[in-house]
Amino acid sequence: MEIVEAKQTRRDFFKFSALSLGAVVATPSLIAGTAHPGMSVYGGYTKNRVGSLAQLKKTGELDFSYPDENALCKAVYVNNEVKAYSIICTHKGCPTVYNQEKAMFECPCHFTKYDAKNNGQMVIGQATGALPRVLLEIRGDDIFAMGVDGLIFGRINNNVG
Amino acid sequence: MALTLNDRLPIPPKNAEVKNVTCEFCIVGCGYKSYKWPLGKEGTYKDNALGIDLSQQQPTYGEWCSERMYNTITDRDGGKYNLMVIPDQACVVNVGQNSVRGGMMGVSTFNAASPTRDRLKDPQIFRGGMLMESSWEEATSIIAKVYKKIIDNDGADEISHKTFDHGGGGGGFENTWGTGKLFHAAIGTASASIHNRPAYNSEVHSSREMGVGELNSSYYDTSISDTMLVIGCNPYECQTNLFNLHMQANLDGSTLEAKKKEYDKGESVSKGKIIFVDPRRTASITNSIAIAGKENVLHLQIKPGQDITLMNALVSYIIEQGWEAKEFIKNHTENFDAMYKVNKVSLEYASALTNISVSDIKKAAEWIAKPKPSGHRPRNAIYYEKGIIWGIKNYENVASIVNLALLTHSVGRVGTGVCRAGGHQEGYTRPEYHGPSRQNLAVIDTDIIEGKYLVYSIWGTNPFGQSIATQRLRNAVSKRSQIVKDAINGYHGNDLDELCDIIYNACKSGGLFVVDVDIYPTQSSERAHIVLPAATTMEMNLTSMSGERRMRLSEKVMDAPGTAKPDCLIAADIANALKAEYLKSGNKVMAKRFEGFEWKNEEDSFKDGFAGQGSKMASQGGSTGTLATYKLLRDAGNNGVQLPIVKVENGKLIGTRLNYTDGKFGTKSGRATFLSTPQPAMPKQVAKQVKRYKYWVNTGRINEVWQSNYHTGRLEFTAKRWPMAPLEIHPSDAKELGITSGDIVQLNNDYGSTRAIAIVTDAVRKGEVFGAFGFQNSIINDLCTDYVDPDTKIPFYKGTAANIVKVGRSEGLIKDMTFLERA
Ligand code: SF4
Ligand code: FES
Repeated sequence: MEIVEAKQTRRDFFKFSALSLGAVVATPSLIAGTAHPGMSVYGGYTKNRVGSLAQLKKTGELDFSYPDENALCKAVYVNNEVKAYSIICTHKGCPTVYNQEKAMFECPCHFTKYDAKNNGQMVIGQATGALPRVLLEIRGDDIFAMGVDGLIFGRINNNVG
Repeated sequence: MALTLNDRLPIPPKNAEVKNVTCEFCIVGCGYKSYKWPLGKEGTYKDNALGIDLSQQQPTYGEWCSERMYNTITDRDGGKYNLMVIPDQACVVNVGQNSVRGGMMGVSTFNAASPTRDRLKDPQIFRGGMLMESSWEEATSIIAKVYKKIIDNDGADEISHKTFDHGGGGGGFENTWGTGKLFHAAIGTASASIHNRPAYNSEVHSSREMGVGELNSSYYDTSISDTMLVIGCNPYECQTNLFNLHMQANLDGSTLEAKKKEYDKGESVSKGKIIFVDPRRTASITNSIAIAGKENVLHLQIKPGQDITLMNALVSYIIEQGWEAKEFIKNHTENFDAMYKVNKVSLEYASALTNISVSDIKKAAEWIAKPKPSGHRPRNAIYYEKGIIWGIKNYENVASIVNLALLTHSVGRVGTGVCRAGGHQEGYTRPEYHGPSRQNLAVIDTDIIEGKYLVYSIWGTNPFGQSIATQRLRNAVSKRSQIVKDAINGYHGNDLDELCDIIYNACKSGGLFVVDVDIYPTQSSERAHIVLPAATTMEMNLTSMSGERRMRLSEKVMDAPGTAKPDCLIAADIANALKAEYLKSGNKVMAKRFEGFEWKNEEDSFKDGFAGQGSKMASQGGSTGTLATYKLLRDAGNNGVQLPIVKVENGKLIGTRLNYTDGKFGTKSGRATFLSTPQPAMPKQVAKQVKRYKYWVNTGRINEVWQSNYHTGRLEFTAKRWPMAPLEIHPSDAKELGITSGDIVQLNNDYGSTRAIAIVTDAVRKGEVFGAFGFQNSIINDLCTDYVDPDTKIPFYKGTAANIVKVGRSEGLIKDMTFLERA
């Protein structure tokens, strides 16, 4: 899979963060979830191209890593929307398996389940919340990852690792 | 600014204060470590209190603090701190794992800028038409003056109370001792009831009378059993780490080596099997199948109320096959023949009543009792919980299971046990309760509805959501409380004696003086005249024991909000205020009854009660509880000691993994007693509802919600996940009623009406719905009848019927819910 590195300066990032969600959506984009007021206090995310929208629509799911190669993520196409999540279960860190038919991320370790359509909300399980959402920007056919909302398992800061 | 940093957390520096915390939620009692350090200070990736390189992605199962394990807190001196509460890798109970509940201990702590902001902070008194701030002195002296007048004129039994008696969740030996000493010994009232039920009784009377204490095994023994039999109990959602660590390890074969080590020489060893008896398909069942395969999981989808018949059928078939533990029965039990004479049923008869096929009953019996290839008897870990305890007839329900355990020697043997799975942790140490026998106990909440008593003291519980016929109870207490409120409203002076005379007189004309002690405002505080704020877990030192009798000291980490106090010290304040009133009136004899509450802190209560009384009082520590000290417990850390304590060796507490290994049981003869357990008929109140209303209503817990939903109903994640009680309903019933998932539905019967959010699922059967209990804004117990088992006064919370209609839909309410299949 092709990952286009589009390095952003810290200033750029804050420019992005400062945009209202509406403004971002107004560029033809789809964003997983709502921005959190305190999101990215540390910034430091790079903007990465993670794949093609046409391809995702065809296959329904798309693997990528973000914000670094140790952070497994998946974009899914559900309800005519693109959503993307860190797939590492926020219970004890097992990689979840995506069940496309049910649009559900399922953890094989202790059976935590997350709803792909509904911002990674926990259906049942032992994590303490939803899967972290990857914030996306879509320009034409390009899907870009912009940041991660929610702490990735095994990190004290999403930008380590 | 807690809860706004959602892609990073501060790093605990090396000098962060580290404490042992036992999970405040379910009975499993998982170990946690708290890290506390000043706000604005941080360690570094390489140099930090966790002792790991935080610049790296941690591995699966590695140490991690989720956002909800974190909070910012403020101590009374104004100091602001970061707080992390993360599962302890070194604890043998949970080995670094959390459940959704325990994992939210951090975010559940008091933070004035978070959803926990409405914790009760200072005493309040009803004056001028509302609750207003008071002082501890004023509030406790009003209580003392009113109580004294009642004790002197009407007798102590006019003071009724409903007081928590559990460990965990702010409970523990310190607090049950304080409140127990106040009510049982000092005030001396027998009008008592317990946090989750309307009388003062055991949930497992029959097991105890059979000589078998209800927590006789260990999680380790469960993990090395051959067969786990789980009845009316959903451990994945309610005793999570018992399931995720110990049952799972048994099912997936991780404990085969341990089995080889622990079993007899030459005994067959294999992966564990599991049998569930439940009217629903629960997440525990689907997850067990995912772990062990269909061939090792048996779901006996029982018709509600027929558990006794099923147990009797298993007993009968096992005896017919000659698989019973003959030597054990002969040497260590009594009453076997009398039991069998009454309990004997045919499989065909049992199958017709229970709705379980003859072949499945046989299969279960084989898993439980058919000799293994080596000829050895299977080792069974038997668990039951609220599906049995809150069942059709508490006494026989529990006894029928213990019969099966005795028949198959599933107690006092490695890899066996017959235990309640449990709700809360335990923490009972109280002076003996001098009430009548179990058949004659007062059903306090029914009495209150009928106009009895002058006082209703509610302590650490909300009976208005969690008793029988709760809508009637709410209405009755509202009316009776209002009589006192009106009287108080008519008085504008500040002479406390005058005020208390007015309160007393209002009580004598149909009123009810309501005192509420709690950590949050509830439907109880709405009806109260005095509200006192209590401290909870992490705000005081607390000792409790778990479902395997593991006792720990859960340490104080932070100050309680406002002037909130440990419950034991609140009890002491009330006792001391009463003593002062009696001394003032020159009654030295009565003043003496209120002596012995000169406690400065919770440890004083511990020393007086658990560690001071030994077998002189009713204590889960037994006679060797006197060996326990805070120091020894602190040193024992999160692994603590399994009660009873055997001895102290080189500064270490040595405990007991399994009870009854010597074959001596808790009866006069030392033999465990079989009991006759005939299947009872449906109680007439319940039968009437079934006749008049279409849907059988079962109720229970759900994973993400803890008990009365006091924290979880507030916290952002859980409050959005479950904004109201969910009601599981079968697709064909839903279709008939025009209901889809997410609709608000109304349920009603002769006892009340309530609302819930429909979840359409075939986890329940047609004609049977399942509603979650504990929600303060949608109370399923409003439909519960006023029936209690005449032999134990324990309710049948899980048995009622109702009609259901669709009300409509509120998309805003369900925005963050998900309706995907949970099981
Ligand atoms: S399983 Fe029970 S004790 Fe353990 S973390 Fe969860 S709620 Fe707490
Ligand atoms: S690691 Fe996913 S459920 Fe435990």
